[in-house]
Amino acid sequence: MSLTVVNPLDERPLPEGSAPPRLASVGGARIALLDISKGGGEVFLDRVDALLRERYGVSEVLRFRKPTFAKPAPEAVLTDIREAQPHAVIEALAD
Amino acid sequence: MSMLANGVTAPPVPGLTLSGPTLLAFFKTDCPACHLALRYLDGLSRSIGSGDRVVAVSQDERASTDELMRSLGADLSLRFDHDLAASAGFGLEAVPALFLLDESGRVLASSQGFDKADLNRLGGELAKLLEVPAPELARPGDGNPDFQPGCVSRHLEPESDAVAAEIPDLYSRRAGRASRIDLPADADAEEWCYESGYADPLPVVPPTVGRVERMLAASGLTPDEVVAHVPPNFGAASAEKIAANAVMAGCRPEYMRVLVPAVRALCDERLDIHGVQGTTHFAAPLAIVNGPVRLELGFACGSNVFSNAARANSTIGRALQLILRNLGGAAPGRIDMSTMGNPGRFSFVIGENEEVSPWGPLAEDFGIAAGCNAVTFFCAEPPRPVSEHKAREPRVLLRAICPVLANLWSYRVCKRSEAVVVIGPEHAATLDRGGFTKRDVVEFLFENTGVPVSEYDGDGGEGTHEAGYYDECVIRGMRCYRKFRRPESIRVMVAGGPAGKFSAVLGSWATGPRGSQMVSYQFE
Repeated sequence: MSLTVVNPLDERPLPEGSAPPRLASVGGARIALLDISKGGGEVFLDRVDALLRERYGVSEVLRFRKPTFAKPAPEAVLTDIREAQPHAVIEALAD
Repeated sequence: MSMLANGVTAPPVPGLTLSGPTLLAFFKTDCPACHLALRYLDGLSRSIGSGDRVVAVSQDERASTDELMRSLGADLSLRFDHDLAASAGFGLEAVPALFLLDESGRVLASSQGFDKADLNRLGGELAKLLEVPAPELARPGDGNPDFQPGCVSRHLEPESDAVAAEIPDLYSRRAGRASRIDLPADADAEEWCYESGYADPLPVVPPTVGRVERMLAASGLTPDEVVAHVPPNFGAASAEKIAANAVMAGCRPEYMRVLVPAVRALCDERLDIHGVQGTTHFAAPLAIVNGPVRLELGFACGSNVFSNAARANSTIGRALQLILRNLGGAAPGRIDMSTMGNPGRFSFVIGENEEVSPWGPLAEDFGIAAGCNAVTFFCAEPPRPVSEHKAREPRVLLRAICPVLANLWSYRVCKRSEAVVVIGPEHAATLDRGGFTKRDVVEFLFENTGVPVSEYDGDGGEGTHEAGYYDECVIRGMRCYRKFRRPESIRVMVAGGPAGKFSAVLGSWATGPRGSQMVSYQFE
């Protein structure tokens, strides 16, 4: 006789998502950098900032910061990023 | 324009004729703070009973509003502000927005955003006007945050063609039923569960319909009742899903009495299990059980308290971990990217040895009276051992604990960690004989735990850059930085077996409002 089990998993379908189209070039683009406020993040992002401008001709680098890496970005930070209308956002994820 | 002031006569709300004091609640269907407020307003409306005394005003269409009410299990009197003229007339900036009106339509009180204190105040004033007993509306520590900012009112939203991202479902009270799966006749049930991704790497008890129903019956909840939404994926922990995971972990049905409030506490926003689920750090949620339930269900509080001594500890802890993984989505290597992990990720539950403790229980630190059942969570590193077999005097004994505390997180990092110090019974007896109260223990540990200033010699290691912000003190004649921010950063409890002069120290993850805060929940 076969057994019947109760599904113990979250059964919602995974939300579908896809990466936005890649920029053809970052030359002249406005790029946002999101520092998640992990120690050393600003050191890394300062270098990325400089490289984007010097090596890739990015016209403007905008800097944003989460108040803590331990929690999701608050709506205010996301709103600030959206309102700045960057062509792309780079999130410095961790350490 | 700002919110209507008290004393001003409010503009009309479509379809509403005031027939007495009325609490109006403007909301929109895609606002999580509104969902939260509506749950409590529904409770208020039910307790008051007849008439349109609590009226929810939707800024959206009927279909999405009805769908929201269904998911919340709410039965509120509804009105619709389709053209958003009332929203503008009331001067809303954010929703939820509450207005208490008298029969003539004058504003008596108002509130914006979700705020338990405001809800209780407005609900209390409404009850007073209606001359009915004030209902107990929003209690602290009921699993929901005390405050949550609202969302911008629909009439102030910028015009855009953009499609909003789907918001996580945080506050619905009813979930769909779990599906039933018929296993192939020749399947080995244990292997089938493993292959289906139900389990940690240990074998599970297959969650058969009969077993899950027995577990569910013991909870007294309906199968679709949602106890919490488990971060980071916010899967609904319905009673049925909790029961299925409890079966798999090997729980007995009576353990649901602890497991259900434990799931609620585990998902309390203050604990920030969201962050702990995804950290590279060692942290795992440690559950500490207080009260008579420890003896009634056979929790280990004595020998081997941190290991495999009792079914209640081991299986409830495992059920919590399976729930985090199966409903929250934190499987190792996917969301859970801990560098080293933590043996507590299999199971991490201890009981306090209240019978031998000279002091009050840990939950008392969080306002829960001795003698009550409680589960307290602390996101903890694995235990660090303390051995002190020679000390006969409290200060000598506590000196052995201080250097272990000084090493938490990283030796030269100060003012970041919190700690739970689990005092073994023999050590507790030494402290008690020396006349030390729990407060004395905490204060001694706070005052005497530091890192010598000479360790900060400019090598640039972790913790050295922030030294300017540390508090300097002198410990046994040596200039030090104080390890802890305040005495309350150290919590003391008693557990472990009768023989052996050992204690244990557990360090924290990120702490405070920007990290994880300990939470303690009382239950029957």
